[in-house]
Amino acid sequence: MRKIFFAIVLMVVTVGSLGGIVWADEPISPAEHRKLFREGAELWPIYCNQCHNARPGSEKAPYEWDQIMMHMRTLGNLPPEDAQAILEYLKAGR
Amino acid sequence: MRTRRFLITLSMVLSLAVFAGAGRALAQDSGAGDAASLKEIQREMRQMRAERKTDRALIQHLESQVNELETHNAKTQPTADQLRNTDQKLQATTLELQQTTAQVKTLQAKVNAPIPPADFSEAFNRYVGSHSFTITGAAAGQFVYDQQSSSIDGLHHASQNTFMFDWEPMILYRPTDWILFQGVFSAGFGSSGTGTDLSTADFQIFLNKYMTLVAGLYDQPFGDWYEAQSPMWVNRFITAPLPFGVEAVVPGGEIGLQLRGGMQWGKLGQDFDYTVWGGNGPTFSEPVMGAAVGGPSSVASSQTNGKSIGARLRVYPLPIEAEMGRLELGASTYNGKWMNGNWFNSWGVDFNYFKDSFQARGEWLEAYRQMPSGMGTDHRQGWYLQFGYFLNQVNAPMVPTEVNDFIHRLEPLVRYSGVNQRGVASDDIAGATGTGFGGTQVGLVPDFGITGSPALYAPHSREVALGLDYWIAPSIVWQNEFDIELPHAGGLFVSSTGVETPVGSVPNDRAFLSQFTIGF
Repeated sequence: MRKIFFAIVLMVVTVGSLGGIVWADEPISPAEHRKLFREGAELWPIYCNQCHNARPGSEKAPYEWDQIMMHMRTLGNLPPEDAQAILEYLKAGR
Repeated sequence: MRTRRFLITLSMVLSLAVFAGAGRALAQDSGAGDAASLKEIQREMRQMRAERKTDRALIQHLESQVNELETHNAKTQPTADQLRNTDQKLQATTLELQQTTAQVKTLQAKVNAPIPPADFSEAFNRYVGSHSFTITGAAAGQFVYDQQSSSIDGLHHASQNTFMFDWEPMILYRPTDWILFQGVFSAGFGSSGTGTDLSTADFQIFLNKYMTLVAGLYDQPFGDWYEAQSPMWVNRFITAPLPFGVEAVVPGGEIGLQLRGGMQWGKLGQDFDYTVWGGNGPTFSEPVMGAAVGGPSSVASSQTNGKSIGARLRVYPLPIEAEMGRLELGASTYNGKWMNGNWFNSWGVDFNYFKDSFQARGEWLEAYRQMPSGMGTDHRQGWYLQFGYFLNQVNAPMVPTEVNDFIHRLEPLVRYSGVNQRGVASDDIAGATGTGFGGTQVGLVPDFGITGSPALYAPHSREVALGLDYWIAPSIVWQNEFDIELPHAGGLFVSSTGVETPVGSVPNDRAFLSQFTIGF
């Protein structure tokens, strides 16, 4: 059991180490914003509804979505690019 | 000016010369009239002298005027220059004014135009500051009606006909873009009064894109239910499935560390995620077979002599572009020493499928608990299978629009769950009529789960739950649930001293629950 667990941990650390920078509050270009918005609109009803009803962006302020999506990224183990796309959609969809 | 004067003088001299020449010619032509002519000439010469004198005076006068004009002109030249400069400045100022007017118009147009959402978001974020809180969570009011048909082998079970209320605020705090704190309080007013509980509280530190460190008190990341389905407005039913209720197969929480993350391995939607964790380990209400699992151990070494380790892997095979829905397949394990050298080992598999209005989810869990010498292994199994269909796309013919609008908000549900274990600790049941083994439990398992149907404490419990949710908004729901406890095989009741008493099949039971829930 221990060997299996430590093998999993080793794999996780290896995969995790491949990650680049942390999700940063860096400004994005309008073109990149439009791309993320379109992708977020596609992902939002599927990723959110998988566990609970998808809640519209109008329910929360943008700064609240920043925090909620960080928590959802952790809880749902969302790929960071997908989480950021959904965040952009929620904030811009207001 | 001198040139002009010279020309005037020259013209006068030439005139005199012409007249003089003319006089000599007349004298040669006519001798008889010389005297008369001479007089005439002398008269003319006097006249010319007079005219010359007059002209000189005129010239002097003109020269004087010219001098005056020159003097005046010299005096007015700086003024003219000044005027010229002023005119140039005026032109420059006019140009600047035109440019400023254009800029003002542009700014006015920007002010009058609607603010782009992105700009507004940034402005609002700057306004509230980088260190801000967000409060989410849920609140619910419940009514439970459960008239027990009978007791189990003489053990008392209270009937329920009561109102309850639960409130579970979650606070999020984000000091930077790579650190988040979250904490959930649970407060409930139930059958034994008010109870509070710190459900979860942890730091989430985003180490890199694919690795997040979670440190603190957290829901057990085993399977899907504890983490993703336990919030009141998220759970489609009011109660928890039997494997996650009062006789849970795996502990519902842990205190320790997690490493977790997710990534896309194929097309959009084809993801993989992992979670590994270690904590203080599992606890149980009593060191006897069938005892209920407890919350996270506050001091691991006092009872367990070791920590727990766990891992969960999940894969999502369906790409979004295939439009086949979202499928999740997962496997979990959680292991630790619960007392001295005695291990608790568990594993489970789960699935979740969602497409349009249809959703299905289920889990299978199995646990082995080594017991002190003289007792057999505490072996448990649990499972649930749940289906739901949202009627938002169903249009009933021949009915008014208002009726269809009502139908569109309904979601019928059905769930089948069960637990197999050799025995149940009698103290768990007896305590459940009061405050239970861990005080009043709120939140994760509603009070109904503690004081509910006898089948919940049966060694081999089975339950069919029928639900009908009415969704007012995506996070506001009126839930109704009808539980049918099914009789099944018997087992053992185990006292706190380990005395085992055989027990037969549990009686049938029915319960109705209604809950109004708001997720905020």
